Amino acid sequence: MTELDALLTQARDIDTPTPLMGRVLEDALAQQPVPRLRVAPTIWAQLANVLGGWQGMGGLVAATCAGLWIGISPPQALPESIIEILGTTDSYVQQDPSLSGFGWDVEEG
Amino acid sequence: MNMPLDAEPECEDAALLARYVQGDASAARLLTARLTPRVFAHAFRVLGDAAEAEDVSQDAMLRLWRIAPEWRTGEAKVSTWLYRVTANLCTDRLRRKRGSALDDIAEPADPTPGAEARLQDRARYDALQAALATLPERQRQAVVLRHIEGLANPEIAVILEITTEAVESLTARGKRALAQALSGARAQLGYEDESH
Repeated sequence: MTELDALLTQARDIDTPTPLMGRVLEDALAQQPVPRLRVAPTIWAQLANVLGGWQGMGGLVAATCAGLWIGISPPQALPESIIEILGTTDSYVQQDPSLSGFGWDVEEG
Repeated sequence: MNMPLDAEPECEDAALLARYVQGDASAARLLTARLTPRVFAHAFRVLGDAAEAEDVSQDAMLRLWRIAPEWRTGEAKVSTWLYRVTANLCTDRLRRKRGSALDDIAEPADPTPGAEARLQDRARYDALQAALATLPERQRQAVVLRHIEGLANPEIAVILEITTEAVESLTARGKRALAQALSGARAQLGYEDESH
C-alpha cells in the first residue's frame, strides 16, 4: 500500500456532527407515515368475501330459490326422467295384496 | 444525543426503509445512524466545508424519508441512490459557488503555489482535503467514492451516471493528480522517502 493509499484509507474516519444526526432523526420522525388502524372485518363480511362478494352471494341465493321452487312445483313441461331425477315424481307402486280377493272370499266363506 | 450503533447489521437498508414506512421508529434511528455518516463523509470530502456538508447531508436524508413510501425494493440499493442524490447536491453547490460549468475546468497539472503553502501548515488530512479540492468536481467525486468510501467501480458508475470505463479513467487520473499535489509537501507530512 502506498502512502497515498494509506492516507485515503485513514480519511474514511470522519466524525459526523452529533447535532446533524439529531436533525436528520427529527426529520425522519416528522416525515414518517402514520400507520392507519385496520378494522377487523365482521364474520358476515368475511363470509361474503369467501363466497365472492355481493355478486357471488346474489347468484347463490337465486340458484337456491330456483332449486327450491322447482322442487316444490316442478314445471309440467319437464320430461318425466328429469322429474324422477329431481325426486319429485308422483308415481306410486301399487302393492299387490298378499291375499287375493279370492282368498278373502274363501276364508270368510 | 446518543445514537445507537448498528443493532441489526444483517438487516438490509431496504428492509429497514420498509419498516420505517410502517411506522417503526427504531428503523428510522438505525437508518439515520447507518447512512448519515456516509453521506456526510462524502459531502465533506467533496465540498471541503463542514457546514455545507451538513446542509447537503440533511437535504439528502430528507429526500430519502420522503421517497420511502414509494420505494420499490430490489430496483436499487438505498445507499447507491443516496450517494447519487448527495453527489448531485454537491455538484449543484459547487456550480453555484463557482458560477461556471465544472466540466470546462481544466485538470490542474501542478498544485498551485498557494496550495503548496497551505500544505506546509496543515496535518495530513487537511493536506489531503486541499489536494482533493484541486481536482475537477467529477474526478473528485470518483476518487472519494472509490478510494475513500471504498465503493466498486460499477456502483460508482451508477451513482455518477457514467460508464465503468469512465469511472476507471476518472479515478486513475484523480489519484495521479492527488499524488502530484501531495508530493510537494512530503517532508511536512512526515513522508521521508521518495517512493509513492
